[in-house]
Amino acid sequence: MFKIECKVDAEKKIKIFYVDGELDIQSAKTLKSEVMDLIESTGWTYELNMDQVAYLDSSGLGMLVYLKKEITRHNGKLRIVKLNEPVLNVFKLTKLDDFFEIS
Amino acid sequence: MFTYFQTIKVENYGSKRRLHDRIKQLIEELPADATYMKMHVQGNSETLALIRRVIVACVQHLDLGAALLNDIKLATTEACTNVIKHAYKFNDAMSFDLEIVTSDEVFVVEVFYHDPDFVPANIPVPNLNEIKEGGLGVFIIRNIMDHVDYSTEEDSGRVRLQMVKILKLRD
Repeated sequence: MFKIECKVDAEKKIKIFYVDGELDIQSAKTLKSEVMDLIESTGWTYELNMDQVAYLDSSGLGMLVYLKKEITRHNGKLRIVKLNEPVLNVFKLTKLDDFFEIS
Repeated sequence: MFTYFQTIKVENYGSKRRLHDRIKQLIEELPADATYMKMHVQGNSETLALIRRVIVACVQHLDLGAALLNDIKLATTEACTNVIKHAYKFNDAMSFDLEIVTSDEVFVVEVFYHDPDFVPANIPVPNLNEIKEGGLGVFIIRNIMDHVDYSTEEDSGRVRLQMVKILKLRD
């Protein structure tokens, strides 16, 4: 079961998405539409908390690249936090760990 | 008539020949208690999570560790995603076959599907300095599996993708 929860801090202009499940071509579509529906016109930070994501593949990565480009286009910032080791390894293998802000 | 296109990771074996010989030996000498699994799968991305569960079930007695287990789940999912997305263009009336054989020394997964237009030598090699939203699936497979072998049957358009991961290095 793939789940996403969003918490909004309007004062700090930050939206935190708690992602729970495996991120493949099927679930990537869900995450993409959830985040895209909540993108503000300008200047917000979007944090993806991946603590509960144990699996990510190239379709999930491709969706994250798309989201970062869209968020940047809206003068926002995408931050990815709490990556598990197997998931972080996929970012490193494809050299996308430099493209994203990961902490 | 089959044509073959192979990618082999050699760093752990010193030469392509030694790795190739080792893989051939491991497959030919599979123990009696090796696990065999065959699936006929609908070409639908909803089946990918099920395929990963089946892989976990096939190898759960081997205690592979998180990294190795993730590698074989990832390579298999990437291969099946490519079939669903590129060969079948999300037409879930199409189906493909998946065969897994595993011992405590080697994991072999084969994907059989139909794609008369597929030319393995034409798979683009991604430029990792150009950030794109796609095109990384085969790159990932080739970087995490020890042996990747595409064979295509020209007359029928049938493709076989064989991927091998050695689970235990030779002592």
